Amino acid sequence: MRRSRIVVALIAVLIAVVIQTTVFGAGQIRPFGVAPALVTLVIIGIAPYVEAEYHILLGFTAGMLVDLVGSGTLGLWAMTLTAVAFAANALRKRFEDSILMSLVFTFLLTLGGQLLYVFLGTLFGQQTASEPNVVPKMVLPAVWNMILAYPVFWLLRAAFSSRDRRWNS
Amino acid sequence: MFPQSGRRLNRVTILFVSLIALGFIIATFDVRSANNDVGDVLREGTQSVLTPLQKGATWVTSPIVGFVDGIANLAGLRDENERLADRVRDLEAQVRSTDALEEQVLQLELINGLEIPGELSTVTARIYASGSSPFDNVRYIDKGASDGIVVGQAVVDEDGLVGRVDLVSANDARIRLITDPLVSVGVRVQSTNETGIVTGRGEGPLRLEMFRASQPVREGALVVTDGSRFPPGLVVGTVSATAGAEVGFVLRTEVVPAAGLSQVDYVRVIVGFSPIDAGLTSGTPTTPATSSTTTSTTAPVTGDG
Repeated sequence: MRRSRIVVALIAVLIAVVIQTTVFGAGQIRPFGVAPALVTLVIIGIAPYVEAEYHILLGFTAGMLVDLVGSGTLGLWAMTLTAVAFAANALRKRFEDSILMSLVFTFLLTLGGQLLYVFLGTLFGQQTASEPNVVPKMVLPAVWNMILAYPVFWLLRAAFSSRDRRWNS
Repeated sequence: MFPQSGRRLNRVTILFVSLIALGFIIATFDVRSANNDVGDVLREGTQSVLTPLQKGATWVTSPIVGFVDGIANLAGLRDENERLADRVRDLEAQVRSTDALEEQVLQLELINGLEIPGELSTVTARIYASGSSPFDNVRYIDKGASDGIVVGQAVVDEDGLVGRVDLVSANDARIRLITDPLVSVGVRVQSTNETGIVTGRGEGPLRLEMFRASQPVREGALVVTDGSRFPPGLVVGTVSATAGAEVGFVLRTEVVPAAGLSQVDYVRVIVGFSPIDAGLTSGTPTTPATSSTTTSTTAPVTGDG
């Protein structure tokens, strides 16, 4: 595993968190009141570029970062994104089959992540499931992620391949 | 399932299970520890690293975001203008009648020798970031301990209570909105003068519970803070549905927050109040209109939630 790939993945996660909390933050770009789950999308998108163990660790790290900037219980997003990374790894070969499949898997993985977070939030007493508009809050990020998947995956591919070229030269 | 060998699969699965277990331990620790100093230190540390990046991102992207937002809202702007023009006319009428009432109140207070509550010292701050998921109810502001902000202080906008400060670093602070399910605020219904508690539900209207209500609350009744922890008389919202009081039963209804929580850009943190001041409860809603950039050294205020 090239260390540069992990660095690129970490930078991508950090950028995603910053964009998520600012550009897609409250009062900013939130179509129908709900923003894309950009960090989840990046965790899905880096699946083909890092080894499974590192990918799962990156999912956990990204989740902890999301937990630390959020208002919820620490560890919930860490578990959620670890599970998303694990599932994305399981599907990584099929990701490469076709663009359509990768979009469908992005939708399903994001939706699964949101569902898992709602379940864990409720389990740990956050009353997440009883929040108003809980269904749009789960479904819309999955829809937006599916729409954003292609450009984000393209950017990730460009970032990883450019880093590899520099590393080799 | 995995293209790798069985040994590799085991390694990945073991790592996955270990991390999930670690997540459970962290979450349990976070829930079980009431004063989670470790969590707060981690949150402050993370935020201090992210703050420059977030401020930079906000500065760079705000014109683009404004442009996109403008396009997205173009269709609704005309309706919004008409609605606001109507609202301005209504408010002008209200102001005219309020002026006369204010004069009467001043005279009565002078007659009774009451001390007129002083203006609340506030620090104006800009919101530069929010939580990262749709289930987060926090905002980050660009003022912190160096501006006199401490944990527990009330945060308002021009319409009413926004939330309370729940995490402070030197130059930044985090606000937990009143819509957060973990935030409860002691309130008083102005029309009946009876007290209760409003609790956030994550989004939308707040839940109002009154345990010893003897009178019904009517739709549109103003709900203000009761002064137990936050300054008394801060507007929280209005009752959205009439509810009756029955002996032995808790009166439950909903309150629409007065503050525009989803679109708020600037807020004021009330630094000139300590819970000791709450002994004198005011009957008049306090409008936090006095904006100053005061640096105060008031005692820490613990939020109602």
